[in-house]
Amino acid sequence: MSAPKTIPKDAQVMIQILKDMGITEYEPRVINQMLEFTYRYVTTIIEDAKIYATHAKKSTVDADDIKLAIQCRMDQSFTSPPPRDFLLEVARQKNQTPLPLIKPYTGPRLPPDRYCLTAPNYRLKSVQKKVSSSAGRISVPRLSVGAVSSRPTTPTLGTPSVQSVSTKVGAPVSLTGQRFTVQIPPPSQTTTTKPTTPSTPAVSNVLINPSLIGSKNILITTNMVSQNSGGESLKRKHEDDDDYDAL
Amino acid sequence: MAAIQSGLGDGVEEKDIKTEPASDGFGNNNANDGRLVSTSPGSSIPAAGNKPVPGGPPEDQQTLLAVLQFLKKNKLTESVEILRREAGLPEDALDPNGADSSGAGPGGTAGSVDLEGGDASSLLTAAGEDQPDVSVVLSAYSQQGDPALYEVYYSSLKKFIETVLDCHRAELSQVFYPLFVHMYLELVYNNHENEAKAFFEKFSGDQECYYEDDLRVLSGLTKKEHMRGNETLLDFRTSKFVLRISRDSYQLLKRHLQERQNNQIWNIIQEHLYIDIFDGMPRSKSQIDAMSGSLAGEAKREANKAKVYYGLLKEPEIELPLDDEDEEAENEEGKPKKKKPKKDSMGSKSKKQDPNAPSQSRIPLPELKDSDKLDKIMYMKEATKRIRLGPDNLPSICFYSFLNAYQGLTAVDFTDDSSLIAGGFADSTVRVWSVTPKKLRKVKSAADLNLIDKESDDVLERIMDEKTASESKILYGHSGPVYGISFSPDRNYLLSSSEDGTVRLWSLQTFTCLVGYKGHNYPVWDTQFSPHGYYFVSGGHDRVARLWATDHYQPLRMFSGHLADITCTRFHPNSNYLATGSSDRTIRLWDVLNGNCVRIFTGHKGPIHALAFSPNGKFLASGATDGRVLLWDIGHGLMVGELKGHTDTIYSLKFSRDGEILASGSMDNTVRLWDAMKAFDDLETDDFTAATGHIHLQDNSQELLLGTYLTKSTPVIHLHFTRRNLLLAAGAYNP
Repeated sequence: MSAPKTIPKDAQVMIQILKDMGITEYEPRVINQMLEFTYRYVTTIIEDAKIYATHAKKSTVDADDIKLAIQCRMDQSFTSPPPRDFLLEVARQKNQTPLPLIKPYTGPRLPPDRYCLTAPNYRLKSVQKKVSSSAGRISVPRLSVGAVSSRPTTPTLGTPSVQSVSTKVGAPVSLTGQRFTVQIPPPSQTTTTKPTTPSTPAVSNVLINPSLIGSKNILITTNMVSQNSGGESLKRKHEDDDDYDAL
Repeated sequence: MAAIQSGLGDGVEEKDIKTEPASDGFGNNNANDGRLVSTSPGSSIPAAGNKPVPGGPPEDQQTLLAVLQFLKKNKLTESVEILRREAGLPEDALDPNGADSSGAGPGGTAGSVDLEGGDASSLLTAAGEDQPDVSVVLSAYSQQGDPALYEVYYSSLKKFIETVLDCHRAELSQVFYPLFVHMYLELVYNNHENEAKAFFEKFSGDQECYYEDDLRVLSGLTKKEHMRGNETLLDFRTSKFVLRISRDSYQLLKRHLQERQNNQIWNIIQEHLYIDIFDGMPRSKSQIDAMSGSLAGEAKREANKAKVYYGLLKEPEIELPLDDEDEEAENEEGKPKKKKPKKDSMGSKSKKQDPNAPSQSRIPLPELKDSDKLDKIMYMKEATKRIRLGPDNLPSICFYSFLNAYQGLTAVDFTDDSSLIAGGFADSTVRVWSVTPKKLRKVKSAADLNLIDKESDDVLERIMDEKTASESKILYGHSGPVYGISFSPDRNYLLSSSEDGTVRLWSLQTFTCLVGYKGHNYPVWDTQFSPHGYYFVSGGHDRVARLWATDHYQPLRMFSGHLADITCTRFHPNSNYLATGSSDRTIRLWDVLNGNCVRIFTGHKGPIHALAFSPNGKFLASGATDGRVLLWDIGHGLMVGELKGHTDTIYSLKFSRDGEILASGSMDNTVRLWDAMKAFDDLETDDFTAATGHIHLQDNSQELLLGTYLTKSTPVIHLHFTRRNLLLAAGAYNP
């Protein structure tokens, strides 16, 4: 126990109050908690009292304002349970109704659904697909693989032709059981491409090597997205560009 | 105007009610006063409106004087003049008569005249206040005795009692405490702060030591405003403090008070005390001390006279359903299919109804499902392997310490078959652990459940999702510390009650919260499922216990009557009764069927924190902050034993499976085992004892104590006997 003169006066007062109320054993932190409560309470009351005083167009706060502030706070935060006679009356009424019979074999006995907490507390939003495009470039339909969880290695694509938007994906891709959106960029559109999941305004037929699909949950979306010659497209796409530049 | 008309009607009815209890035994002629002040403010105010009827009859005269005095007190001099002129009252009729009417009003003989006057003054003060219901209650102190004389009155009474014969002195000393408190509160209510303080200082030291806590609360209460928010105190005022005094002692007291001018004390006694008179020997100090200590005195004799069906319900005969036959038959003795009813040791020994047991249909109970029947069969099998305990065969104790709880562990429960432990914590979480090596699993989602084979034998394992297997699960949902926890008997549900005022039902299949039962708006200190499932009880700070059913979002029964918070709630083994222990230091036994209080047990000197029914349903054990365990006979309503030994609050009590041993766990870090068989063995219930409720407690705590087991600074919060009579204990390690 530190020497009394190093404890602030407020804390000394609080210690004295605790002693008067007969509390002899307590942890040191209790004093801090009590003091914090006291400060908060007194500040709230005095602020409320100031508001009441200004409302009554008084220049200073006086005892009536404080009394009113205390009374309002008591009714609001520090309510006490209902009085006994009221409870006796309510109990008498409640106890008059006989106990309800129990229907047998009704499964889990729970109140009606709206009194339970068993309803889902979420709602599924419909998936938004952005239209992506690039400026001006007549491009070859690209097959770019954007994985939801991570970036896979670059798939090598078969040689697509401009007319038939069909691509053959022949090369092995290290697909590792993730969900992929395979996006085939369409020619000539001007909207920009977002690197991740773009939306599909139009779907074209894609012939894809079935061995690639298997059980790996590949979601195929074809997308008439034109390549953006600017820097917004995937790095991969630049590489693709290099690959399929000749086309 | 219609209100006044109905008020007139009320006035007439009230008169009739008032004359009835006048014929009651002594000291109760003011019961109606209490009742009147507790009627709703709506009826009291129109009733007040009809009182000032001018003219003749003496009762109205008194009323008028009371009105005059009230007006004068509030300095409404013009109204005083006008009223006096109109009513034709003489000038000097005011003061002495006014004092008389208010002084003689609540006290005095049982005349409806005086009662009217007194009621009028109390009602009028009520009408003047802004909070009528509270003031009606407090205005029991509207009488104006001379404050300076209170000390004189009290001292003279003290002197008188000291000179009385020894045998009467103990009984009459009971009067001191309630008299002291009521006189003090009267002084405070009438704003005589200095006199009140002086009075308190002079006489508070004389009171019994077990009233110390109450006196400390009183010492902080010096102004009228302080009285307003204190519900317990208000209840103390409206309810009468019950004293049980022998006729001889009572005559002595009455004679003394009536021959002197001490009408003040007599008034208070008549108004606030209920003196339950019995014929016979006066009680000794030790007898009185054993029974006193509660906030409302002792229990009236009539309170403990109702018939209680404390016997157990007959166990159902388990008929084997046909399709389960093969399974059961090969489990049991490998016998071929037999449609015999199972096991005869389930209670069908006595074919006739136990007269003390309630009928099966007294309260509706859920039917036994197949899984329940399987549980019962398991229970019976375990029962055959049960160890018989006794003084020479003590149980082994297995202690589950919660580490790193940092004093946050607030509630613990075990399932009946001891396979799961749940802990409620101050950080508002509930955690469930598996005691056995079998892990806890959640049920699969609906989509996955569609895919499983429903006809397979192990479908119950298949519905469980292996991916979610873990040793423990945490349940989040409450917004305050969890103070009460209870498993359902079929291990499907878990209940938890918290400081946020709700009781939550959790599913132990999905480990999610299913329902939040809102009703208490104040902390709920304890909750428990009924032994048959479906019903549960909760009790909290609002002084009522509520009975709920899992499929009703509102309570089915409300048990109101305690004067202070309900700290402990327990069901009787037959689910027809429940016991509540409270901070007002009494235990009440309630009937589930109609909500009546059938027993009141007083005697503890501190708030009660632990209750346990004996397995045969006849006895109740209770533990409180005073460190004593008290044993009660429910049928007769008597205290039959007192077990002293613990030095700190007792938080858990449990009887062994056959009722031979009582285990108690306490804050003093010990578990103590007591010989319950011996404690209940030799009970002398002769007619006198049963009639008057006087007990002679033997001081045999030392003989009954079978063992004390210390833990390493871990208070024992929960005790549980497994089905084979192994004792499990739980607590949080508190270094």
